[in-house]
Amino acid sequence: MSAIIEELDPERRDVELPTDAAPAPDTERPRRVIRSRRPGGPNTRKPGDWLVLAVAVVLGFFIAVPFLLILVNSFKSPADYNTSGPLTLPTEFYFDGIVAFWERVNFPEKLWNSVFISGLVAVFAVLISMFNAFALGIGRVKGRLWIVVLILLANMLPQEVLLYPLYFMFKEAGLYDSQWAVIIIFTVIQSAFGTYLLASVYSTFPRELLEAASLDGASRWQILWRVVYPISRPTLSVLLIFFFIWTWNEFLIPLTFLVSNATQTVPVAITVLQGDRLMDVTTTSASALLGLIPTLVFFLIFQRTLTRGITAGAVK
Amino acid sequence: MKHTRTLAVAASVAALGLALSGCSGSDAGGDENTLRLWHYEGADSAMGIAWAEAIEVFEEETGATVEFEEKSFEQIRSTASQVLNSDEAPDLLEYNKGNATAGLLSSEGLLTPLDDVVDEYGWGDQLAPALQTTAKYDENGIMGSGSWYGVPNYGEFVQVYYNKDAFAEAGVEVPTTLAEFEDVMQTFADQGTTPLAESAAEYPLGQLWYQLALSEADRQFVNDYQLYENPVDWSGDEISSATETVKDWVDAGYISTDASGLKAEDAGVSFISGDAPIFYSGSWWYGRFQSEITDFEWGTFLFPEAELSPGSAGNMWVVPERAQNKELAYEFIDITMRPEIQALLGNNGGVPVAAEEADITDEKSKELIANFNALNDMDGISFYPDWPTPTFYDELNAGLQELVNGTKSPSEVQQQLGEQYQSGVDDIVG
Repeated sequence: MSAIIEELDPERRDVELPTDAAPAPDTERPRRVIRSRRPGGPNTRKPGDWLVLAVAVVLGFFIAVPFLLILVNSFKSPADYNTSGPLTLPTEFYFDGIVAFWERVNFPEKLWNSVFISGLVAVFAVLISMFNAFALGIGRVKGRLWIVVLILLANMLPQEVLLYPLYFMFKEAGLYDSQWAVIIIFTVIQSAFGTYLLASVYSTFPRELLEAASLDGASRWQILWRVVYPISRPTLSVLLIFFFIWTWNEFLIPLTFLVSNATQTVPVAITVLQGDRLMDVTTTSASALLGLIPTLVFFLIFQRTLTRGITAGAVK
Repeated sequence: MKHTRTLAVAASVAALGLALSGCSGSDAGGDENTLRLWHYEGADSAMGIAWAEAIEVFEEETGATVEFEEKSFEQIRSTASQVLNSDEAPDLLEYNKGNATAGLLSSEGLLTPLDDVVDEYGWGDQLAPALQTTAKYDENGIMGSGSWYGVPNYGEFVQVYYNKDAFAEAGVEVPTTLAEFEDVMQTFADQGTTPLAESAAEYPLGQLWYQLALSEADRQFVNDYQLYENPVDWSGDEISSATETVKDWVDAGYISTDASGLKAEDAGVSFISGDAPIFYSGSWWYGRFQSEITDFEWGTFLFPEAELSPGSAGNMWVVPERAQNKELAYEFIDITMRPEIQALLGNNGGVPVAAEEADITDEKSKELIANFNALNDMDGISFYPDWPTPTFYDELNAGLQELVNGTKSPSEVQQQLGEQYQSGVDDIVG
């Protein structure tokens, strides 16, 4: 119930992210109450505040422009686009572009493929990151710095470099044109970043807790699942969301490895609309909108987890 | 609580995924009676319609089934060499013509040489000589000679689109000479209209420039420029007149200086919306103009006085070396070359390579195909200005942008282009 109240409370977004150890929601609440009762209240902002606000609004506008253009053009008929160009509002709502794209690429199938791949990658990559980070950050194995650097190479190398070796490897393994190729590749790539990040989070993990647990006779496996996992869960959730969205938006490797139409993801399906010489602006916009909505919905559902901050949830 | 929920949702997604993963993955067709076919033409396009009919005819006549997948141009362009080198290779696919695409794959041994099949079915007689150029590649993958590796099914060429209503209003006729063409444009310019829809950021202005050079040129110039038979004189009559004419047309207001920042799409839209009465561009716009221009009459004509114009065979059928049912693929190609399928392609706004004009019933398409056939009868298909080297497309656009902006003079631009062209050609010819 309290979660719903918080969600309905618009002021919640004004709270700055805590930079020190994150306070639990209960300690946040009184602080906000005090602030809104500050003498003068929000109506007597200083000129500096207004300037910051104005700059933020302008920046926000520029960030939103591409999205707004997609939105405007998705619902425009080609005739409307030809006479008035990309910047004006549509004269009437036109859904044919969206319907045409939906049917042409069998969108539900592509949507499912994307959810399937991104979902599995997110879960697997978080799991592997956690195991790796447990060994590197808490277990403090020898040469951990170099192990982390080595793992990070997977992230630093441009995907174009990886493409051919991966192609030959997976062809030999019989996994070319299989979604498992993409799942394995991105699990490795995403968990490289996850390992790096989690290892540094875990290296600041309070030793007292670990020592207390081992004094109580917990095995390493139990320490991981009973102590480390529950406490770092907020960080793991954030990683899960990032991995999902990043994998969703991947293009080059899915394009290469998913040969059959039935296995393809949403970003790959969108390219069907780009011809040799012609482009269809309104249908392309519609397809971009369709491709973007799922990640947007996913983000909105989980955004409260995101705002919790990536380093949140150390010791309560 | 919330975190548990997040992870629970993710875990159930994963579990569902694992449960259903049995139905993903793919079966590479090994069936002897299945033709695996890929192309990237939209279902509503001329080629899409004609080839859908060809699939039906094929299934009826051979009893085989066609497993068709519509691919994206982008996917075939960037992954063909990998797919064709694997067991996932289809039996037949539409692939891009040119040295960097079909030429490269043929030199790597990924495409089946088709010489015997072409003789057997007689496709060579159906295709005009200039259309065969892009179907043949030598052992280094350079087009124009060597073995057949592809069979083009449609053509494309560049012509003048004009707004009939705007012409009538301005009181001008379709020009038959270059001088008349300039008079027409002058009339529009005097009335405050920029006559030519142009784009220098993409291919349109480069093709106009090439057309102006071709107006002064003969077939040997095309062979020198495209097939590297002799060195091209970049300060000769052909190229000087092209570069200077573009400059004159910009100065006279026939081409807007804004064109340097515009894309092909912008130029096309300015013709569709009626802002510009003349658009010099390719037959690939034809279908779109037909469906999207509703408020004025429009027509086409070949560039005045031109005996050579940019154009080529379209993308073509290729048979991968690792295809499993090559015979079926050849039969399918032959069906797409039949007059009735070619006529279907023509009646839907495409440019068939082997159609009888008499079979074309659609009035507008008749004009288009008559233009193409006229050009072919003159042996006038001259390819595109950016073909000779892999980087010349961007170099040509950059040079012409500077010409339109006025930052460089015609002689500076053509000297710069000449050096870039020559260094690119030297890399290829060695």
